[in-house]
Amino acid sequence: MSSKEAILSNIKKNIKQQFDMPDISIQGIQYEDKLAQFIAISKAVGGNVQLVKKGEDINEIIRKLYPEAKTIASNLPEITIATANPDTIATPQELNDTDVAIARGEVGVAENGCIWIPQDVKEKAVYFIAEYLVILLQRDKIVNNMHEAYKAIHFNDYGFGSFISGPSKTADIEQALVMGAQSAKGVTVLLTEE
Amino acid sequence: MKIGLFVPCYVDAVFPEVGVATYKLLKHLVGEVDYPLNQTCCGQPMANAGFEQKAVPLAERFEEMFKGCDYVVAPSASCAAFVKLNYPRLLEGKHFCQSSDKIMDVCEFLHDILKVKQLPGKFPHKVSLHNSCHGVRELQLSSASELNIPSYSKIKDLLSLVEGITVLEPKNVDECCGFGGMFSVEEPDVSVRMGTDKLNNHIATGAEYITGPDSSCLMHMQGIAKRLHKPIKFIHVVQILAAGL
Amino acid sequence: MSTKHSRAARLFLAQKEDSQWHNQSLWYVREKRDSFAMGLPEWEELRRLSSEIKRHTITHLDKYVEQFAQQAEANGVIVHWAKDAQEHNNIVYDILKQHQAKKLVKSKSMLTEECHLNDYLISKGIDVVETDLGERILQLMKIPPAHIVMPAIHLKRQQVGKLFEEKLHTEKGNSDPTYLAHAARLHLRNEFMTADAGMTGANFGVAATGDVVVCTNEGNADMSTSLPKLHIVSMGIEKIIPNYDSLSVFVRLLARSATGQPSTTYTSHFRKARPGGEMHIVLVDNGRSDIIGNEGHWETLKCLRCGACMNTCPVYRRSGGYSYTYFIPGPIGINLGMLRSPKEYSDNVSACSLCCSCDNVCPAKVNLSEQIYRWRQDLDSLHKANQMKKFISNRLTYIYNHPKLYRMCLKFAPIINHLPRFMVYNGLNAWGEGRELPTFAKHSFGSMWKKGKVK
Repeated sequence: MSSKEAILSNIKKNIKQQFDMPDISIQGIQYEDKLAQFIAISKAVGGNVQLVKKGEDINEIIRKLYPEAKTIASNLPEITIATANPDTIATPQELNDTDVAIARGEVGVAENGCIWIPQDVKEKAVYFIAEYLVILLQRDKIVNNMHEAYKAIHFNDYGFGSFISGPSKTADIEQALVMGAQSAKGVTVLLTEE
Repeated sequence: MKIGLFVPCYVDAVFPEVGVATYKLLKHLVGEVDYPLNQTCCGQPMANAGFEQKAVPLAERFEEMFKGCDYVVAPSASCAAFVKLNYPRLLEGKHFCQSSDKIMDVCEFLHDILKVKQLPGKFPHKVSLHNSCHGVRELQLSSASELNIPSYSKIKDLLSLVEGITVLEPKNVDECCGFGGMFSVEEPDVSVRMGTDKLNNHIATGAEYITGPDSSCLMHMQGIAKRLHKPIKFIHVVQILAAGL
Repeated sequence: MSTKHSRAARLFLAQKEDSQWHNQSLWYVREKRDSFAMGLPEWEELRRLSSEIKRHTITHLDKYVEQFAQQAEANGVIVHWAKDAQEHNNIVYDILKQHQAKKLVKSKSMLTEECHLNDYLISKGIDVVETDLGERILQLMKIPPAHIVMPAIHLKRQQVGKLFEEKLHTEKGNSDPTYLAHAARLHLRNEFMTADAGMTGANFGVAATGDVVVCTNEGNADMSTSLPKLHIVSMGIEKIIPNYDSLSVFVRLLARSATGQPSTTYTSHFRKARPGGEMHIVLVDNGRSDIIGNEGHWETLKCLRCGACMNTCPVYRRSGGYSYTYFIPGPIGINLGMLRSPKEYSDNVSACSLCCSCDNVCPAKVNLSEQIYRWRQDLDSLHKANQMKKFISNRLTYIYNHPKLYRMCLKFAPIINHLPRFMVYNGLNAWGEGRELPTFAKHSFGSMWKKGKVK
């Protein structure tokens, strides 16, 4: 008997009483102003948020936010300031020393400041390896909570996605909060109108 | 309504005044109160130590003693909780358990059944309320601090009926004092540290008395207070409620 | 009457300042959990749903594990089945060997601790690097974790500073957490860059889609799997949940319960291998399928491994992870240890005052205190009952069953009040170590009643 068969048959053998799946039609917390809540929580978890007006140049905004940035990684068509493209580099290791990575989020979540980023680059290291991460998100794509989010998110063919909320952090040394554990030291969310 | 009084073993031996206060209060509010003479213990000490089968004869005796009563009232949240939650299981197959429906802690009884709205006594002192674990989490005497439920406290409601009293609560409002029955001697260091922390939290409220529904918790903290020469006094809730009787 | 836990706790508490700091730090996490729990009106509803979803899933687990494996395989992921820890370790090593992988970076996985994977791989010549900061510190110190979510909670910054001076060549005497964390960042960045394989645990496995969900604050699971091309997932079969609707319930409960955050920084979903890479999932049983059949204790399988029970437990906070003999401490650890080996881990069963706080914070409503109480009832038949406790219980039972004898004991008990201190307070009196004995009443309630003195 294979291990698979052994495990499955042992599970079956041991089930004594069975329970039904409950009805999970829970609405979850609703916010009067999802945008305001999203912005407040994003800041509370250490992220920056900036509202982008129609017609404003994203590239300008990013330059102003990170004037010292030398290496900028992105594959987004609207980004003109990229110096590296995570689609065309040979190895993900080459993305080390990226100052700013720019990515697109699909859905924002007001209850926790999370943004769903479905992988749309060949090397997903770009989301995690850069010193700073900029996430573009359309402000009308903000939902109230994770129940709504999980109904709204999509994957691309790459088969990876991550909800990211604020910069990488740790409190492992004496419970002292430090930003920039292994990934982004800072995150800026640019909320666009479209 | 026929009331039976159950006086827990350590109340009998160490804090008989708590039994007396309970009797007086119940008599004042209800009239006749029966005290079956052969009662000893509900069995909790042995059960929590891992020998619950030893509590079975005590459970049977309890059923027999109080079979004529409508309610069995005890000045001890943990004993009442023990009978309520464990006797049906301990007596399974032997006896249909009636005690678990009849048993009530005295505060529960006053608040939920008698719905007391007036008390004759005065207690012009500051007290710090000790929310004993079994009272809070097994008998729902107050809203447990872990739960997102509307806040309430049956004991505070009752104490507020006593003239002149100021009721305070310590920080970490329902953290365990560390008695836990034989836990107190099997894990003496943790037990004493828990008790000391709890005692200090009570003292920090500025109260003159620490009060609560469980003499076991009070006995443990009192033992520490005496060892540390802390002047704070201890009194059971029912003694405050019975003040003036 | 002592247990390994009570003796270890004594040593822990002897470090008065450190033990007080430990207690306060963990209570602070409990308070953060409270503030987030109270901020969601639907919090208790979420807990109820979480418990019911888990009960359903566990009691239909064969169906869900199979569905999960099928979905994962349809996504091109290679799924392995391990009956026990040894098989898990062999499978992981074989995968690494096949890929000639020499360096493995890992994000935190209590399952790999359970299987003693690290030691096994190291013995086979694999360089295993823990990448969670707390775990890496402990790995360099060669000591085990003290908490399942905050593994280095018991360490002070000076200890980390000294360690890093030696291992990472940081500035002498600098124990600033930010400085040290950034030094670790550079050190671990180098490890990620040169790793041949990345290993993660799994917080959840979604049966409907084959997703492996990993939650971190550091981003180390993502770094471990974005640089090396080989990704190995270690997953206990009880981690599987039905679908995204269920997942949304758990994800909303997890970080709030564990660390008092609305979410971990990263909640990553791994469905497929990276382009040009390989993804393996090792599904591990190691006793879990047997636990399903354990009527009194199967609900421990609902556990989300959030650690909230530890943070609230007044005993864990005042004794620390190392006082427990099982690698997982606190209320859940007492229960899991007994399920692993009742005879080996029975010392932990004393580490509980039955306050029931853990039951109320558990996001999956595991009946922790009730199960500990049940394990206590089993100790005698396992020949692990504390003999002094048994003796005292027997004596008490005898006295309580003989009311006349009981009355006589109460009559003579006040003598103890008058005994010289050396007779009462000595090595035989565990109560008296830190407390004064209560004063026995001259006249017990019963004797007053008999004399008509209770009116």
